[in-house]
Amino acid sequence: MTALNRLTWLFPPVPLARVALLRRAVYLFVIVDVVFLHTSGYYHGWADPVWYQPLWMGRLLHLPAASVPLVQVLRAASVAAAVLALTGRFPRVTGWAVAIAWIWYQYVAFAYGKVDHDRGDFVVALLALPMVGIATVDDRRRSEAAGYALRLIQLTAIATYFLSACAKLRFGGPEWVNSAAILRAVVRRGSWLGEQLLHVPWTLHWFQWVLLSLELLSPVIFFVGERWQRRMIGGWYLFHALTYAMITIAFWPHLVMLLAFLPLEEYRDRWRGRRAADQDRGGTAQAGVPPGSRLRLRATQR
Amino acid sequence: MGTTTVSQTQPSDDVIRVSPAGRGWRLLLCLVLTALFLAGTAVGQDDWWPFGPWRMFANATPPSGSVISLRVEVQVDGDPAWQIAPLTPSAVGLNRAEVEGRIPQMTARPAMLGTLADSHARLRPKAPPWRAVRVVRNEVLLTDGVPNGATRDTVLAQWTAP
Repeated sequence: MTALNRLTWLFPPVPLARVALLRRAVYLFVIVDVVFLHTSGYYHGWADPVWYQPLWMGRLLHLPAASVPLVQVLRAASVAAAVLALTGRFPRVTGWAVAIAWIWYQYVAFAYGKVDHDRGDFVVALLALPMVGIATVDDRRRSEAAGYALRLIQLTAIATYFLSACAKLRFGGPEWVNSAAILRAVVRRGSWLGEQLLHVPWTLHWFQWVLLSLELLSPVIFFVGERWQRRMIGGWYLFHALTYAMITIAFWPHLVMLLAFLPLEEYRDRWRGRRAADQDRGGTAQAGVPPGSRLRLRATQR
Repeated sequence: MGTTTVSQTQPSDDVIRVSPAGRGWRLLLCLVLTALFLAGTAVGQDDWWPFGPWRMFANATPPSGSVISLRVEVQVDGDPAWQIAPLTPSAVGLNRAEVEGRIPQMTARPAMLGTLADSHARLRPKAPPWRAVRVVRNEVLLTDGVPNGATRDTVLAQWTAP
């Protein structure tokens, strides 16, 4: 028991507000994702079952091939559960419901021969967030359960970098860095920027060296202070913006997961503070203040 | 309230702890996830999802090989010309990579291509129906890591409506 109590690294006390804000981002993303971003699973409802190739998960759970009613139910259930989860009530029940609907929907998308490699980590976010229980955006109490959930999400997000470097070495071999892997990606789905880089092949070649090095070094983030952690996360966002500019691929769920490194409740304070200051300057503070709890909260603070 | 004043000076008193049992299963979950992700990367394949290897762009393409892509071509009613069909989920229920991955099955059973015509008819009922479908492999040839301008086309499988 004392050994377990010493595991402070895995259980850092973190404000519950941070989990509440990350939940908002994650569940909003689920809605955007199933409706707009990742719709290939939806259309599998119209594909002939002859194309169905069950994954390990589907063989274990006897999941059927997609049909039009199934994909429609899964999509609607993902959205409905995410909307309920966004209210913050019954976070465990609604959170698990989102997890089941979204994971099944992704399964349908991936069980036709092509698995996207940017979505496995988001599963952990959906499983970790309900475990915290009730958390509101104004709750500044620090909780070890909140810290654990965020730590799990952080570990998984960084593991995707490190393990994708391992996968490059496993499937491409050490010569991957000198291969034409990124060139191939640019030829297949290049953007304007990618087309320009094709004329300067050494840029793509060096990009591979830089990419593999950054991925192998990514776990360093757990050994630096918070300030540097935030800078590194900023660096990763920059990297993903560059990748998007080159080959129009972005790992959207992963980008949401990286938020687990950031002090979201502090950003919210700063943003609301600035907004309140703007309103005071305008002299129309009363008209500008939204009704409801925020008004009451500010009134008690004065 | 007394507790509020205390919490301002000693925030650590405010921490909501996790019980030893809670720590135990959380630690176990962390270890199980770690083991599954590590195993997936070491020996897993794509069908291990979500634990499969993160092999985005992991394959090494030889600098003087070729970049292969497929296209599906169709003949519509009363037009003998082959037109390039959209290989997208909203048109045929499947995307390009999913069709690409089944080349051996399609060459063995060209009737699989017929299911694309069926799905297309259901997804795009107003579009002219497909009478014949064929899969063509297109190779962009590379020299020293740069496309050299040459391409090569091969018909892999063909289906005609009965």
